[in-house]
Amino acid sequence: MIRKSNAFEILNHWVLAISCIVLAVQGYGFLFHIEGIGSFFGGFNSMRALHNYLGIVFSVSLFFTLFFYLKESLTFDADDMRWIAVLGGYLSHKVKTPPMGKLNTGQKFFYLAVLIFGIGIAASGFVFWLMPGDKQLVMYAHVVHNVCFVVLMMAIPAHIYLGSLANPGTLRIMIYGTVPYTWARKRHPKWIAEVEGEAHKT
Amino acid sequence: MARMAILVSPELCIGCRACQVACKSWNQLPGDKTTNHGSFENPLDLTPHLYNKIHYLEVPAEKDPERWLFVNQRCMHCDDAGCMKICPSPGALFRTKEGAVATNKEKCIGCKLCVVGCPFNVPRYDEKDKISKCHLCYDRIANGLQPACTKTCPTGALKYGDRDGLITSAQKIGYEKLYGQTDLGGLGALYAFKDSPTLYGYKMKPGIPESVVFWHKVLKPLTYIGLGGVVAASVLHYVAFGPHKESEEEEKKNG
Repeated sequence: MIRKSNAFEILNHWVLAISCIVLAVQGYGFLFHIEGIGSFFGGFNSMRALHNYLGIVFSVSLFFTLFFYLKESLTFDADDMRWIAVLGGYLSHKVKTPPMGKLNTGQKFFYLAVLIFGIGIAASGFVFWLMPGDKQLVMYAHVVHNVCFVVLMMAIPAHIYLGSLANPGTLRIMIYGTVPYTWARKRHPKWIAEVEGEAHKT
Repeated sequence: MARMAILVSPELCIGCRACQVACKSWNQLPGDKTTNHGSFENPLDLTPHLYNKIHYLEVPAEKDPERWLFVNQRCMHCDDAGCMKICPSPGALFRTKEGAVATNKEKCIGCKLCVVGCPFNVPRYDEKDKISKCHLCYDRIANGLQPACTKTCPTGALKYGDRDGLITSAQKIGYEKLYGQTDLGGLGALYAFKDSPTLYGYKMKPGIPESVVFWHKVLKPLTYIGLGGVVAASVLHYVAFGPHKESEEEEKKNG
């Protein structure tokens, strides 16, 4: 076994995931006037308060992800281009995918999307909450909040599927933070090479 | 039930502002402290405690040294109401059987999005951050009475009645088309303007902000079409390709 995520990263991911899902459910409640969701959270008034405070949790958790994934997600090389060319091997298990680092190209794109649209949905949410008097700004925030919601509601289910059913054995990273060494060497050879290189140095 | 409406005739208005007072009286709204701005208009804009008001205008005229216009400003009770469209809390803004856009402060969550959705800059918020605007005295009209403002108006500048009937009566005295007759699906406050609406301080073509229309027509459906599409694609992917198991890679090597 090799450790891919440390305890704080695991915890942070759970906080981000749960807050995001609850916020999204509340979002659908607001969008489509779903009384059932409203009453589950104690009425629309308290759901609004909860939505705001949970937004803080989401934002803080999103901030911490910067330390785990940003640097890696901004590093692209020729293998990433090849990965895109073979569509990440998503559409055939027979395709040979190029060697990947700790994150594959798709994961990098996913992280950047979550970061950009996550910041967008959080910032616009804070505009509603803290600057409701600025009509023009609220008008823009309303569009931004909903565009980000649409994008995240498409990206996140794909992320959940790829991290669970589509790739058995990956879900354990969310719980234990570790992966089998042989698995890591196959899926993330450049990461393992890096780890082994550092081990040699010391 | 037939849709009810208020017909506002600025030409008949003498600017007594009894409508403002009657509204405050019936709806138990406190007075607002104001200052003298050198005009009869007071307050200068709708407030959380002022659901309708007379807008005073002095405009150039041919015969007289000047012409006074008195325009009753209020919620227009749009058929296609931007405030109701954008409101995230069911029941905070609701349609009565008479066609009024009424308010329920208890259900209002204080988000102020209705301010963005309104084409006429009507919604205000009270001290408790709750929606505050003309609701066509929905408690009175539901019991067969007319709104406090129209009941009080001494000249007939404000008339409450069957919407089609009001339109017909206005057409009989020469108003071919009333302001609000067809705008936004038809307004619940109709204006008998003699000149261009802009002279009275109203937009030629009032409309819900484009961003709100775009959100309603495109973004809202996309939130579930997108989610549903990705879930469906995932299921299809699972059926067509199955999970990416390590054993397959082994097989690939061996085979």
